[in-house]
Formats: sequence, C-alpha cells, structure tokens
Amino acid sequence: MKRGKRQRLSIMVLVIALGLLSGIALAETVFVQGKTAKLRAGKTSLDRVVADLKFGEALEVLKKEDNWLEVRTAAGVKGWIFANKTTTTKPSGGDDALAKLGKSFRRTEASDVTASAGARGLDKASETYANKAGITQQHRDAVDRMTAYQIGDQDVEDFLKEGGLGEYAK
Amino acid sequence: MQRAAEDAARRSGDERLARTIHGGGTLISGLLPIGYDEESSIGQAIALQVVARYGGVSDQPDLTRYVNLVGRAVASTCDRPDIPYRFAVLNHDSINAFAAPAGYIFVTRGLMAQIRNEAELAAVLGHEIAHVSQKHILQVIQRSKRLAGVTEAGLAYANQNPEAFKGLIDAAVKKLLDEGLDQEKEIEADALGDVFAARVGYDPTAYVGLLNRLKALKGDDRAFFKTHPNFSTRIAAVQKVMQSEGLKPNGTLLGDRFARLSRGS
Repeated sequence: MKRGKRQRLSIMVLVIALGLLSGIALAETVFVQGKTAKLRAGKTSLDRVVADLKFGEALEVLKKEDNWLEVRTAAGVKGWIFANKTTTTKPSGGDDALAKLGKSFRRTEASDVTASAGARGLDKASETYANKAGITQQHRDAVDRMTAYQIGDQDVEDFLKEGGLGEYAK
Repeated sequence: MQRAAEDAARRSGDERLARTIHGGGTLISGLLPIGYDEESSIGQAIALQVVARYGGVSDQPDLTRYVNLVGRAVASTCDRPDIPYRFAVLNHDSINAFAAPAGYIFVTRGLMAQIRNEAELAAVLGHEIAHVSQKHILQVIQRSKRLAGVTEAGLAYANQNPEAFKGLIDAAVKKLLDEGLDQEKEIEADALGDVFAARVGYDPTAYVGLLNRLKALKGDDRAFFKTHPNFSTRIAAVQKVMQSEGLKPNGTLLGDRFARLSRGS
C-alpha cells in the first residue's frame, strides 16, 4: 500500500516535470521587428491597442492564428501583434549610438511635420567635401532638403491603412 | 591616449617605438566599426555626388512624399529600422537606383517610368534599404580606410583631414557608381529587399515581373547594368528566397495608387 502510494507520487512528479519541460519547449520568444508596433486586444487592426511596443522588445508567444500572434510582454501585458512585425532572432540594428539616434528621431517624427524645406541638414564634413569636390549650391540644397525631410509615423500608418497593407490587409 | 604614447616615445628619442605605436593605432582603428556620426557624414558626401552626377532631384512634392511613404513603410520592417531613411527621385532617364550610407536612397526617373505598381517600387526601394541595413557601402569604406592607414574616425577626422576624407569618398563613389558592389551583395540586397516588401504586404512576385521586363527591354548582358549581376541571376535569387521564406504570391500590387500618386493619372 505504502509502496503503491510512493509509485503514484513518483508518476505524478514525473507527469508534472514533463508538463513543465514541454511548456518550456513550447515557449517561443519573438522580437519586435518594426520601428513601431502595436499590441491589440484582438487579431484585427480594428481591435483596441493595449500597448505600444518598442523595436527589439522580447515577446513570449502564446498562440499563432492566421498572420497574428498572441503574445505576452515582459511586463505581463497580453495581446495580439501582426506576425510580420516580429522576428525570431534579435534584430541586429542599433548599437548604443543608433539607439540614441532612434530615440531622438522618433521624437522629431512625433510632430506632424511632413517636410521642412530649407532646414539645414548638411554637416561640416560634407560641406567641406562639397567645397573640395566643386558641388553646386543647387545640388547641396537638394541633399540638404533630403536630409531634413520628415514624415510622421502616423502618416506612414495612415498610408498603410489606405492601401490595405501590413496589419490592415483585408 | 595612443597619440600621447606616440609623442612620449618620440620625445624620448625612440622613433621606432613611436612608429610601432602609430601603426598599432592604425590597425586597431581600421578594424573599429564606423559609428553613426561618421556614417552620416559619409552618406551625405556620397549623396552629394549621386545628386550631382544624376541631374539633381525631382522638385515635385507629391512624388517625393509618395516615394518617401512607400520607402518608410518598407524600411520599418527591415533589420535596421532605427535610422532615418530618406528617398528622392533623380532627374535622370537612365534606369537605376542607389543607396548611400545613413539611409540616403535614390531612384531615377528612368526606373520610375518602368515601374507599374507600388509593389514593384517597394521591392526596388527594399533592395536599396538592404544595402544600408547590411552596411554594404560602409564595408567598402572600411576596407579603404584600412588600406589608407587612416587612424582617426568620425567627424574629427573628416574635419582635420578633408583631403583624405575626400579620397575615401571618391573611392566609394567610384565603386558604387562606376564599378559596382560585389555581386553577392547585390544578390543579397535583391533577396532581402523582396522579403522586406513582402513583410509590408506587397506581392513578392512583383519584383520578378519588373526584373523580367527589364531583361526583355535591355537583354541579359551585364553591359546594361554593369554595376549589377545579370537579370537571370537576380531573378533566380529572388525566386529562391521566395521559396525558402515561404513568400506567397498573394500580396498587394496597388497599381492604381502608384499611377495616381507617382504620375498624377
């Protein structure tokens, strides 16, 4: 009797251990690939946004359905993300300098400015290069305007929506 | 630090030691990755040459905005989305596109005329974005820096030694515009660019369609695109990545939007 109890206990422990191990094996981590990504309450672009995710953020995959993943963030927030905004390997882009730049760039983009013609964009080194290489003022101005050109994240999002692209695909 | 040690050795009369320290610094700095500030200066300088040699950029604001919106959508899904990507149309009838470091991307008016829908444009811009995200041109510069024995890095170097900086840029421009990058880098950019565009939801077969039309138009000789592998090789590479990545030909083309926003029709 005593032996039987011990056997049952051993089997229970084994079952629990196997369950835990399979849980570990099934747990998949993905990383936010897109520059901006939204975590939604459901698997459509019409569902409520429950969190704004950061580039490179790790997410635990709970379920896969169609082109969407149900995930949990490190902070414990559950929701759905469009699968194409994730990657299974940690994105390589962005050392410290780039990460800093990304932050400041996003701050600038948050404004609704779409273009700021005439803003100075060329730095001293490229100005010096332009002088030495005999680049005309017209061409300097063109690169200047290109450097200063801005489009807000929301404009890109609206553009995707209008075209039925990304998570707005029909 | 290195310069102080070098000076100290020279003051002590040991010129040989000073030269060794200088050489060590050259080797180490040549192996260091190029930081973003330096990349930005390099990118701007190369962009100046691209604009100068290809007739300037289009001044049509609607076209510029459209190309930037498509480009930004594709860039947001690439492996390096945290840098600013900017796009412009060059006033040139040749069929080509270029990328300079730090996200300066150009497509010629001639190539725009061959493109039939937004999915094709997205893949073309994706190809150029891949050159930036994979730092293909920076690798060329890095090699040149090592060969030139350049010790300093960044803006300080460019400002203190503008002649040497010009030498590096001119060599990179020659490689980019005249000789072309290594063929495997072009193939990698084709494959990655199509993957980036497909991630947005564009049809990945659109790029194959464009490459096939260009092949029919210009033949399969590298004399046309001397800076790129021939079209057959590129088409095969794109088809291979579509298969390996499981990209389905069921994405969006957006031909009407392309006609409306790029040509006003």
